[in-house]
Amino acid sequence: MENISANKISAKDELAHLRTLMLAPEQSEISELKERLNDPKIRAEELSRIIAEAIVMRTATDQKLATALLPTIEIVLRDVVKKDPKFLAETMFPIIGLAIRKSIAEALRSMVQSMNRTLEYAFSWHGILWRIESIRTGKPFAEIILLHTLIYRVEQLFLIHKETGLVLQHVAADSIDIKDADMVAAMLTAIQDFVNDSFSTKEDASLQNLNLGELTVWIEQGPRTLLAAVIRGIPPQELRAILQEIIENIEFEYSSAIDNFEGSTAPFEACKPDLLYCISQAQQTDSSANRAVKFSTKNVKQNTKKHDGSWVFIIIAGVLCLLIIIAGIIFSALR
Amino acid sequence: MISKKICLIGSFAVGKTSLVRRFVENMFSDKYLTTLGVKISKKIVSIQLEDVTLLIWDIGGEDLFPQTKLTYLRGMSGYLLVVDKTRISTLEIVIDIRKKVRETFPDVPYILLENKTDLTGQWDIEDSVIEKLQHEGWDIMKTSAKTGLGVEEAFNCLAAKMLRKTIT
Repeated sequence: MENISANKISAKDELAHLRTLMLAPEQSEISELKERLNDPKIRAEELSRIIAEAIVMRTATDQKLATALLPTIEIVLRDVVKKDPKFLAETMFPIIGLAIRKSIAEALRSMVQSMNRTLEYAFSWHGILWRIESIRTGKPFAEIILLHTLIYRVEQLFLIHKETGLVLQHVAADSIDIKDADMVAAMLTAIQDFVNDSFSTKEDASLQNLNLGELTVWIEQGPRTLLAAVIRGIPPQELRAILQEIIENIEFEYSSAIDNFEGSTAPFEACKPDLLYCISQAQQTDSSANRAVKFSTKNVKQNTKKHDGSWVFIIIAGVLCLLIIIAGIIFSALR
Repeated sequence: MISKKICLIGSFAVGKTSLVRRFVENMFSDKYLTTLGVKISKKIVSIQLEDVTLLIWDIGGEDLFPQTKLTYLRGMSGYLLVVDKTRISTLEIVIDIRKKVRETFPDVPYILLENKTDLTGQWDIEDSVIEKLQHEGWDIMKTSAKTGLGVEEAFNCLAAKMLRKTIT
């Protein structure tokens, strides 16, 4: 009996011995791996080596990381403000002043524009007719002016890469005679450079408006791109806000594509709907003013000339004047 | 399609504008050159079956290349330096301009064009001078806006140089 059990034990030992002989390197590797997986310190160390690359890779594929991090960042921001608001204020200071200045300048310009418009029309021939219309319809005078003057159309939009002056995207409304967008955009950039070099001393100053008769070119600047809108008619200031929003979105959404721009416009094909929206938006504003008119220079002119029932008043006034003159003649003849 | 900005630089009356006039799509008149100091034209070249749109910024010729002109070069992918083969002074100016341009744009590829080579009897820039520059690493080509010699090749060659740079 003893012999058998002793044999068994020695067999077991031999087996273990054999196993160590055959699998010693693998065994040590497995135990090492186990240790690495279980030790949080080592895992953190390993993760720290790849985390930056991982974030970059993920951000390039989709936006999920941003969504996932959003709540944490919100909490962090709130904590920072709670803990030391001065720190955040100091960090934001350089940009906040700029933003406020820009917003105030926009508001002032919008006010001046609406005042100008009111003044311009208050004493003109159109103004008198519109005043009669305002009395007749019971609408405020300012509203009537707006209705008659806010006829505009965004004809073309150029999204331009600032540094190279190359077109990233170009859209145009139907039936517009399009010149070569590449060359126009480059020339626009050249003009901008020319104006900056010739007249401006500040780096952040830039060309915002070009006026040529009834055409206006509005230029909205992003840090690396600019959006130029060719507008026929008198656009409302709200359009500027729309343009601003579009360029801000593009700068944000296509940030890496803009940074890596090597001349190919393919990555920017996706922002076409945004730009087309801007063109259709202008037409909607017009239809909301109950003017189912297709935009064209001809129509713009026709519209400013058309004044519904106000001609009746002019005829009545004319007849009245005639009657007074006749009465005067008769009266003087009788005397 | 890929678009690239290139610049055309050189001293006064070396034939830069004539060089592009016959070989590119034009939209703006030459008076832009005297007013804005720059004129833009366009040329489509085909490099290894791929079409590339070159937007050519023709920078108005002035013998002193002031700082303001450098802003027009911003964002360019390559440039052509043009000299008048019959006037050695234009080469001296271009060497000076190139030095200035290299300070701001060190890695942008360029080609030197010896223009007006059709005026064979009046050559002022000797081949030995050109060979010396070639030894220093300059890419140099002979062109003639009048006969059309080498102009297409110059644009193609510059485009190829620029693209190779993008790929690597």
